[in-house]
Amino acid sequence: MVSNSAATPSPALAFESVSFGYGARPVVRDVTFQLAAGEMVGLLGPNGAGKSTLLRLGAGTLCPARGVVRLHGEDVHRLSRREVARRLAVAPQEFSVQFAYTVRQIVELGRMPHHDLLSMPQREDARAIEAALEAAGVEHLADRVFNDLSGGEKQRVIVALTLAQEAPILLLDEPTAHLDIRYQIEILELLRRLNGERKLTVLAALHDLNLAARYFPRLILFRETIVADGPPAHVLDAGLLSTVYETPVRVGILRGQDHLSVLPPGQDNPLVWQPGKLSSGGVAMIHVIAGGGSGELMMRALADAGVTFSAGPLNAGDSDYTLAQRLAASSIVEPPYAPVSAEGLAAARMRMVDARAIILCPTPLGPGNIVLVEEALAARRAGHKVILLEPTALSTGDTDALLATVGARDFTTRGVELYRELLESDCLVAKSVAEALQLLG
Amino acid sequence: MVARLADSKQTAPAEPQTREPDSSRPRTRLPQDKRISWRPAVLPLLVVVLFAALALAAAYGAVPISPLTSAAILLNQTHIIHIQPSWPASDEAILLLYRLPRVVGAALVGAALGVAGVLFQGLLRNPLADPLLLGTSSGAALGATIAFMLPAAFTAYWFGFGLIALLAFAGALVAVALVYLLATHNRRTPVVTLLLAGVAVSAVLTAAQTILITMNDRLGLRLVSLYRWISGSVNVESWTQAEVITVLVMVGVIAGFVLAPALDAFALGEEMAGHLGLRVERYKLVTVLVAALLVGAAVSISGIVGFVGLVAPHLCRLTLGPRHRLLVPASALVGAIFVVVADLLARVLVAPAELPLGVLTALVGGPFFLWLLRAAGSRYRW
Repeated sequence: MVSNSAATPSPALAFESVSFGYGARPVVRDVTFQLAAGEMVGLLGPNGAGKSTLLRLGAGTLCPARGVVRLHGEDVHRLSRREVARRLAVAPQEFSVQFAYTVRQIVELGRMPHHDLLSMPQREDARAIEAALEAAGVEHLADRVFNDLSGGEKQRVIVALTLAQEAPILLLDEPTAHLDIRYQIEILELLRRLNGERKLTVLAALHDLNLAARYFPRLILFRETIVADGPPAHVLDAGLLSTVYETPVRVGILRGQDHLSVLPPGQDNPLVWQPGKLSSGGVAMIHVIAGGGSGELMMRALADAGVTFSAGPLNAGDSDYTLAQRLAASSIVEPPYAPVSAEGLAAARMRMVDARAIILCPTPLGPGNIVLVEEALAARRAGHKVILLEPTALSTGDTDALLATVGARDFTTRGVELYRELLESDCLVAKSVAEALQLLG
Repeated sequence: MVARLADSKQTAPAEPQTREPDSSRPRTRLPQDKRISWRPAVLPLLVVVLFAALALAAAYGAVPISPLTSAAILLNQTHIIHIQPSWPASDEAILLLYRLPRVVGAALVGAALGVAGVLFQGLLRNPLADPLLLGTSSGAALGATIAFMLPAAFTAYWFGFGLIALLAFAGALVAVALVYLLATHNRRTPVVTLLLAGVAVSAVLTAAQTILITMNDRLGLRLVSLYRWISGSVNVESWTQAEVITVLVMVGVIAGFVLAPALDAFALGEEMAGHLGLRVERYKLVTVLVAALLVGAAVSISGIVGFVGLVAPHLCRLTLGPRHRLLVPASALVGAIFVVVADLLARVLVAPAELPLGVLTALVGGPFFLWLLRAAGSRYRW
């Protein structure tokens, strides 16, 4: 369970010992969990596990038999329907529209909670509608008839409708159901972006475990009640999943992949890493040197694998820094565009000394961060494990080719030389994040 | 499968770039605004057409009265202007006591049925929903049958309503109330149950009506007038009645206009309407009440006139789009024009005899509607 930080006094959405049943059949039993504002949580469970019911309880459409659902601290059934709609938007799985409404007309309905039946649309509404159309990437569809759209487009329009509502919480029931893989990824990328940019609190019921692992930092495994709640590496446990889904599965990281995968048993897909091989004692055991997005895949993979790691120094505003803040146990920060400071370097040195391994991601080298490569070289010479993540390296033996790719992103005079010395001092080279994980084990 | 997953992962980051170019954005806004702006301008146009239809309908009939004469007679009624009568006094009586109430009544019937059609189609999410669904027509018919059976001593007038009109009105409302109560379970009224309960109640009421007709000897002589009533014809008995119906229809049309955004939300389904902050069950009840009131008002002066509640909303939806803010007033006007013209044709086609109005609305409206649908081709997808 993720504890809410001290900054948010009451969680965005909270279930307190909620039970519900249709007739005598219990569907939701004694569920307690909280969503902090800005969290992005995936709700997993087999068909008929009660995921949709749980979302309906959250939206106040269903009334719990026991327990309370709180929206920003208030009982959802004490609030008017309109007040609930201002705080929480729901994107249902099934969504059929009668009559030939255009996309824009559908999205406009998202403004309903902000009006009574006779008030005229304001400039504020026009702005919210345009913003929602744009954010969901359906602006070019605005004048098309909704029923003529493809499944993926419709799903994006539904998201646009909920965005126009401008509610801080968004519940989605299987937003990727019946979509082909391209649209599944598009929808989830959109949700992740909105979660990042607007601090939208997202709770989405999902059936695809692999996509869930890739996009959601926190997962809730649900079957009548909460079976597991935590980061993907914790929830996507082969034993748990096999019990809940009543079919044996394997969990691990595939060669060439950067996130956990759930697989049927008996296939000969080689899992390069499986949970349990690495045990983290709570201390950051890996230090990641990255920047400019070069560390994204690596940090995601480490987080998925449940390996605690530290990262830095990174410049504030760098996408790697944003990600490290979310995923890393600790990260060292420098002001935007500033070179690594003496304090930053000292902090990095301390982390590297404690770490079991140092991973050097393929970040561009400049006068500002070249000292980190020097530091890594020093650590290697002191006997620490250093892994170079070089996706473009052809084979581990080909030193010249590797140094050529380093040279291409080296804007200092020393970069290539330092890498040559690293290679000469027997550091390890990984061509993919999966290989890097393998080398850690 | 796994390999494909891996491939898609590789292409995923490139996805946003392949999306539609941003350059299309400023272009899409202008035409949209323009199109919205011309649509409400249709309403004044329809008002003009309605008045033209009213004038035409008032002028023609078994006894023709020219539009100028009609205007002069009406102006004299204001007692402000006095024009020396150059027409026979009978013309004045025909116009004021017989034809004008009937023409106005026809407009009211059309407006009521048009709006009731919009309300039922929007609420039930069914383009086939007719305002005479949910038991209204069979309830009204049963009420009227009972009225025809009662001894003449009962034919008193209340607010200008004769017994037939009154019982038809009551029959329509009681039938809808019955349907609604039967369809409600645990304070929820699913629309499918509503439709099914409507069909079942209609069947029972029609059966009851048939039993009354076949078992009752008293009805024998009045069977023809009952049959004529059921096939529909505008029959306004007094100006008081016309006034009461006007008030009812006006209230209904305005209520429909107010409910319009809720009906738009209903188009997304009840659950989604709830997620958008609507108290679904309450709005459902109010919508059914308003629609039943409108149908009751129409049926009480016209008997059962079919097809109007289907043609008017669909014609408007086809040309103006599905949004109910515009659809409600437009359907009211189109329905009114349609029934006024149909009533005129019913009076003049076989003069001095009369065709039943309900027959004419189906006979004229049906082919016109079909032509419209075919002309629109695949563009119309309700």
